[in-house]
Amino acid sequence: MKRIYALLVMLAVSITAFAQNGRSLYNKYSDYDNVEAVYISPAMFRLIGKIPDMELQEGNVNLGPVIKSLTGLYILSTTREDIAADLAADVNHFIKRGSYELLMEAKDNGEVMRLYTVGDEQIVNSLVMLARDAAETSFICLDGTMPRDELETLIAEAAER
Amino acid sequence: MKNIDEITRLTADDLERISLDKSIPVPEELSGKVQQAVRGRTLRWAVPTSVAAAIAILLAAGLTRNPEPKDTFDDPYLAYAEVEKVFSKISGTVAYGADKISESEATLDKYSYWK
Repeated sequence: MKRIYALLVMLAVSITAFAQNGRSLYNKYSDYDNVEAVYISPAMFRLIGKIPDMELQEGNVNLGPVIKSLTGLYILSTTREDIAADLAADVNHFIKRGSYELLMEAKDNGEVMRLYTVGDEQIVNSLVMLARDAAETSFICLDGTMPRDELETLIAEAAER
Repeated sequence: MKNIDEITRLTADDLERISLDKSIPVPEELSGKVQQAVRGRTLRWAVPTSVAAAIAILLAAGLTRNPEPKDTFDDPYLAYAEVEKVFSKISGTVAYGADKISESEATLDKYSYWK
């Protein structure tokens, strides 16, 4: 009987943790005034993946290998200080609850950018970027089953351009 | 008094007939024992059932409170351009970090050379 209780409690905890994700943050903030919001659904990613020979402008990064593995993109951006503070606090909370690990942090002239990922050695299930400066706070969340090697190669290639 | 084998062989009609037969005496403590057994069984399943129901309600509430948002773009080309912009921004952050590491390495190399 104790095992059943433990299992039920674990299930309840996992459900609560599951509720904290990019989508819940998007749903909370996307309708606020002074918040720019972008969402790309799994269906749209599938559609993008089906377009043959996606025409790329010269010099742009070829996202083909990774784009098919994406299942959601959430972007929130605001210049309102009070919303920015709440958003940053919520993102930090969800990062901690979601067992994300800090990939890198960069600070430049008052701007702080942090990249987080969650997954294993082969797959990245979610990549989160939080960028804050005096004027603006941006949150980007990419969900999917992204092969870590391909994602890192893509970022490295783009960084070289 | 019938034994267990005899009782299990009885049909539903036999059981009904016996239960209606007022001449057969019913032990006084039987009613209490039956009630106790039923109550114990009910209580044993009440807590897990309640917890399972609560979890189901939580899950349903979570799903309805967190519906899928509406796509920002109808055009997959525009969506692709947005994804590209995101990767450029992420790459910019990574490039900045990589530059700082290179600068630090260069400073360290210089220091090692003069030393």
